[in-house]
Amino acid sequence: MSGEVILEIKGLNKHFGPTYANKNVDLKLRRGEVRGLIGENGSGKSTLLSQIAGLYRPDSGEMLVKGEPYAPHSPIDANRHGISMVMQELGVVGNLPAGVNVFLGRTGQFAKGGVVDLNALNKAAAAQFAKWDLPMPPLNQLTDGMMIETRKMIELARALSIDPDILLLDEVTQSLSLNNRDKLYALIRRFKEMDRAVVVITHDIEEMIRITDTITVLRDGEVVGEVRSAETTLDEIRMMMVGRQVSGEYYRADMTPTYSDEVVLRVKDLSVPHELEDISFEVHAGEILGFCGLSDAGIHSIGKAVYGLSKPSKGTVHMVPTDTDIHSAPQALANFMGYVPKDRDNEALMIHANIRDNSVLPSVEELKGKAGLLAPRKLSRMAEGIRERFSVKTTGVGQTMNALSGGNKQKVNLGRWLAKDLKLLILDCPTRGVDVGVKANIYALMKEAKKDNIATILISDELTEVLGMADRLLVMKDGRITKEIRRDEDFTEQSVIGEMI
Amino acid sequence: MKKGFDLKKLRLSDLVPFIAFVVLLVFFAVATGGKMFSSYSLQKLIEQSILTIIAASGVLFVVAQGSIDLTVGVNVALSGVVGLHVAQVTGIGWLMIPVSLAVGLLMGLLNGVIVAKCHVPSFTLSIAMLIGVRGIVNYIQTIVGVEYVPASMTFITASGVRIAAFFVLLLVMIYIFEFTRVGRYSRAIGENETTARFVGIPVDKMKILVFALSGLMAGFGSVFSIAAVGGTTQTMGSFLEMQVAMAIFFGGVLVTGGSSAKFYKVILGSLSITIIVYGLSLMGMSESHISQSVEGILLLLILFITILTNRQKKLKTEHKEEA
Amino acid sequence: MPTSVTTPREKRGLKNWQFILLFVAAIAVILVAFHLLSGGLFLQWSNVTGILARTAYPSFIAWGFCFLFACGYTDMSIGGVVVLGSFASCILGNWFGLPGVILGGLAVGMLLIFINFLIFTYSGIPSWIAGISLAMIYEAIAFLLKISNGTKALVSTSLAMEYRLLGQLPWCLLLLLVGLVVVFFLYNRTTVGLNIRALGGNKDVAEKLGINVKKTLLYVGLISGVLIGFACFLQQSYAGQTTVKTGLTSINIIFQPLAIYLLAQIIQKRINIVICVPICAFILYSIFNFLTMVGVPSGTLQEFFLGAFIIAFGIIGSRRVKGVVK
Repeated sequence: MSGEVILEIKGLNKHFGPTYANKNVDLKLRRGEVRGLIGENGSGKSTLLSQIAGLYRPDSGEMLVKGEPYAPHSPIDANRHGISMVMQELGVVGNLPAGVNVFLGRTGQFAKGGVVDLNALNKAAAAQFAKWDLPMPPLNQLTDGMMIETRKMIELARALSIDPDILLLDEVTQSLSLNNRDKLYALIRRFKEMDRAVVVITHDIEEMIRITDTITVLRDGEVVGEVRSAETTLDEIRMMMVGRQVSGEYYRADMTPTYSDEVVLRVKDLSVPHELEDISFEVHAGEILGFCGLSDAGIHSIGKAVYGLSKPSKGTVHMVPTDTDIHSAPQALANFMGYVPKDRDNEALMIHANIRDNSVLPSVEELKGKAGLLAPRKLSRMAEGIRERFSVKTTGVGQTMNALSGGNKQKVNLGRWLAKDLKLLILDCPTRGVDVGVKANIYALMKEAKKDNIATILISDELTEVLGMADRLLVMKDGRITKEIRRDEDFTEQSVIGEMI
Repeated sequence: MKKGFDLKKLRLSDLVPFIAFVVLLVFFAVATGGKMFSSYSLQKLIEQSILTIIAASGVLFVVAQGSIDLTVGVNVALSGVVGLHVAQVTGIGWLMIPVSLAVGLLMGLLNGVIVAKCHVPSFTLSIAMLIGVRGIVNYIQTIVGVEYVPASMTFITASGVRIAAFFVLLLVMIYIFEFTRVGRYSRAIGENETTARFVGIPVDKMKILVFALSGLMAGFGSVFSIAAVGGTTQTMGSFLEMQVAMAIFFGGVLVTGGSSAKFYKVILGSLSITIIVYGLSLMGMSESHISQSVEGILLLLILFITILTNRQKKLKTEHKEEA
Repeated sequence: MPTSVTTPREKRGLKNWQFILLFVAAIAVILVAFHLLSGGLFLQWSNVTGILARTAYPSFIAWGFCFLFACGYTDMSIGGVVVLGSFASCILGNWFGLPGVILGGLAVGMLLIFINFLIFTYSGIPSWIAGISLAMIYEAIAFLLKISNGTKALVSTSLAMEYRLLGQLPWCLLLLLVGLVVVFFLYNRTTVGLNIRALGGNKDVAEKLGINVKKTLLYVGLISGVLIGFACFLQQSYAGQTTVKTGLTSINIIFQPLAIYLLAQIIQKRINIVICVPICAFILYSIFNFLTMVGVPSGTLQEFFLGAFIIAFGIIGSRRVKGVVK
C-alpha cells in the first residue's frame, strides 16, 4: 500500500441535468491497493467508476494515470491505459458464443485473411479462464440461456483479457455464488500481489471491509470520508453513508407497532416460478409492513406479485375489504390498491407526457362522468390538487415530466396514489435517487397514510429505511420469507443482517 | 384539452401540420391558377378526404398505442365485397351495412388478438394480412365479379347523406379519442407500455379493442367507398392503408404514438394528402406514378421535420435517464 | 485446470444431430406426401429442378434480411430496388452481355440499398415507414422508365435469351452455393459479421466494447446491398423480364423472402440461419408448387396461404418473447 500513486483524480465534477452525480471528487489510488467505494443509491459511486472506465466524460476536473494526464474518450481508450471494468448491468451479447464474447470488439486480432480463426480465439479465451482460475463456460455455446453467474464470469474474463493495471468491479459479487465469490477474492488478492490496483463497489459493507484496504464513502455525489478498512467498523461506515439525519424526526421515533386488527390483504402460499416460493403474510389497516433481503432475495417480486403483475403458479392474493382475489393489475387498481414500482422513469411514469396526464392516470375510472366523459376541467383540477398538496416544484401541470428533478417526479408519482381513496399502498424503494429533503417529505407522507389507516407494504434495499418506518419486518432469502420481526422486538440492523445472509 | 390558449406554450412540433397544410394550399392555389378553390373542387376535395379520415380515425387509436394497422385497405375491400354480396344474394338491401361492419370488426378483432396475445409485431402482421386478405378478396371477386348497390339502398349514394353520416361519425370518434378513457389509455400505452401495465391499465384488452375499432371504422369505410362509387371495384381499398398512414404521420403524429397523437392532426393530415393528390391531378399529373413519388418524397420530408422538431426535448431526457 | 461450470440450459429433449435428422426426415415425408397427393408429378426431375431454380434469388434477399434485421432495420423498399436493379441488369446485359447483366444488377442494388441505409441511419425516421416512402419513389421511377408519355417504352425489360444463363440451372444453383459459403463465413467467421450480430444482440454492450456503430451499420448497408444486387440480376436472369409494380405492390416481391426469413429464424437455434435460408426457401416453394399442382389458384388463394404462413411463423417465433412488442 505504500506503492506509487497509479491513479489520481482531482476536482472531478459530473452532472446529469439539474442533479450533480459527482461533485469535486478527489481520489488517490496506489499500486497494490484494493479500494472500496461505498454510498447509498444515487450517491454517485457508479458514475465515478464509469468516468474512470471511459463510459462518461467528466464535466470538469482532471485524472492522472501513472502521472500522465488521462482523459479516456471510450472504454477502449481506457483499456489502452491499462484500465478495465466489469459493469453492474452490462452483460453479454446473447446471440454470440461465449468465446467470441470474451474478445468482442477485438476479434480482428484473430483474423487471418479476413476470416476469424475461432479455434485460436477460443484457445485464447480458455487461456484467460485458466490464468485467473475462473470456471470456464462452454465457449462455443451462445450465451443466451446461460446463468447470470456464468455470464458474469465471461465479462470478468473479458475485462482481464487486456491484462489491466487497474481493475474496476461494480457490484460483481452480488450475482455470484459463494464458491465463485471466493475465486473472485483470490483474484483480487493476486492483483494486490502483482502490485496492481482494484476498485470495488459492493452493497455488502462487511464484505467490503474484509476485502479492501481502504474505503471511500460517497454521499450525494461528494466524497465524505476515506477510512482504512482495518481500522473501521460497520457502524462508522453506515454513519458516514447516511449522514447526520439518521435519527430524530426523519424516521419514526416510537418503537412500538401500532396498527388495527383489521386485515386488509391476505397473501397465502404465493409462488411465482423462479421468483417467489410459498409466500404467506397479512397486512393490517394502518400498518407499515417492511420487506428486506439481499439483492436476489425476491423482495421486489413481492410488489409485482401482489399487484397482479406476475403469473403465480399457486397461491392467492386476497383483498379483504372487498373480498376479492387479485389476479391482474386492473383488478388491483379497482380494489383500492396502489403501486409505486422501483424504476420510476421506466415503470412508473410517462416521462415524455405532462404532469396532468401522469397525475390522473390511476384515477381515470373515478373521474369518468356520464357517457364515459373525462372532462378536461376535472382532470386539470385533480392534477392541480396533487401539485399543491405535495408541493411539486413546476411551472404548471402542462409541463412535461422530464423537466422535473427526481424528487419532484417522485412527489407526482406518490401523490397521484395518495390522492385516491386507497386501502393498500405498495412502495418499492420509494426514496431511490431522491435527495434528503424529499426523503424526509416522503417519510412524512408515509406516516400520514398510516394515520389515515392505509395499509402500506414498504420494500426497500435500504435497511435503515425499513427499520425506521416499519411496524413489522419480513426478512426474505432466496424467494422465501425466513423471519418476521416486530418493531418492539430485536429491531436492529445486526439481527436483521444476521437473518438476511 | 388546453387550459386557455397560450401562444408561448405552442411547440414548433404542434405547428408543423398547420404550416404544411397552409403551404400546400397556397402552393396548389397558385400552381393551378385558382382552380383549386372553385366550389366544384372544394366539394371534390371534401368527398375525397372522407374515406381517408374515416379510416384514419380508427387507425389513430392504434398509432397512439405505438403500433400500426396497415390492414384497413384490404379490410375495406373484404368487408365491402362480402357485405354487398350478402345483400345481393339475400335480396335484402340494408344487410350490406351491418354485414360490412361485422366483417370489418371481426377482422380488426383478429388483428388485435394476434398482436396482443401472440406478441406478433403489428407491422409484420399488417404485411401478412395485406397479402393474405387481398388474396381472399381477389378470389371472391373472381367468382362474384363486380357488384352494384342494390336499388333499395341507392339513397346512400347521395352526397348529402354521405356527408351528414360522415360528420356524425367524426364527432363520435373525436369524442372517444379526446374525451374518454379509451383514448387516454391508448396514449398512455404509446407513451410507456410498462407504465400503463404497472398502473393497472388493461393493456391487452385495450390493444384488442383499438384494433377492433380500427376494423369497425374500415367497415364503415367500405360502406362509404361503395356509396361513393356505386358498387365494388377491383381496386377497392388498395393503397388506402398508405393514404391513412401518411395522413396520420403527415399531421405530425409521431410513429411512437403517445401524447403526440391528436385528432386534429389526423384531419389536417388527411386534407393535406388529399390536396396533394387532387392538386397534382388538377395540374395534369393525374397518372398515379408521379403523384406517388411526390407523396413518397413529401412523406419522408414531413416525417423528418416532425422528428427533428421533437428531437430536442427527447435528447434532453435521455441524458437525465442515465443519472 | 479451470473447473467447468455446468450451464443449465432449457431442457430440450433432442440433441442437435437428432433434431437435424428429424428435420430432414420431416421434409422428406412432406415431399413424398406431396408426390403422392399430386398423382406422382411432384418429385419428377423437371419439377424438382424447377423449384430449385426458383429458390436462388429469394434466398439472396432473405440473406440480406439476416443482416438488415440484425440491426433492427426493416427495409420495405427492397422490392422497388429489385425492380430497378433488374432493369439495369437488363439494359446493360443487352448491351454488354453477361458482365453487363451482373454489373447492372450489382451497381443499382448496392447504390440504392446504400442510399436507404444512409436515410435509415441519419434521419431518425423508423426504417419501415422510411422504406415505404422510398418504395413509392422507386416504383414511380420504374414506371417512368418503363412507360414514358403513356405509350413509348424507354426501357426494354426483356433480357436476351442468351444472357439469361445465370438464372438457369445449374448456374443459379452454383451461385447459390457460392453465396452460401461466402455469406456463412461473413456472418459467422469475420469481425464485421460478429460485430453486426453483436449490434443486433445488444447495442449497448457492442458500443461500450468499442464497436464502431456507425461504421458497422455502413457495412450492413454494403453487404445487404451486394446481396440484393445479386438478387436483382438473378431475378432478371431467372424471369427474363421485369414487371413494373405501382401502388406499393412492389412490396409483394419481399413477402416470400420474408416468409423464408421468419421460418429460418424459428429453427436457427438448431441450424445456422445462413444455412436455414435456402432450405426454407426450398420448403416454401415446394409448398407453392404443390398448391399450384392441386389447382389452388395463384394470385388469390396462394397469396392467402402465404399471408397465413407469415402470421403462423410470426406467432411461433414470438412464443417466448416477453416485454413490449409494438
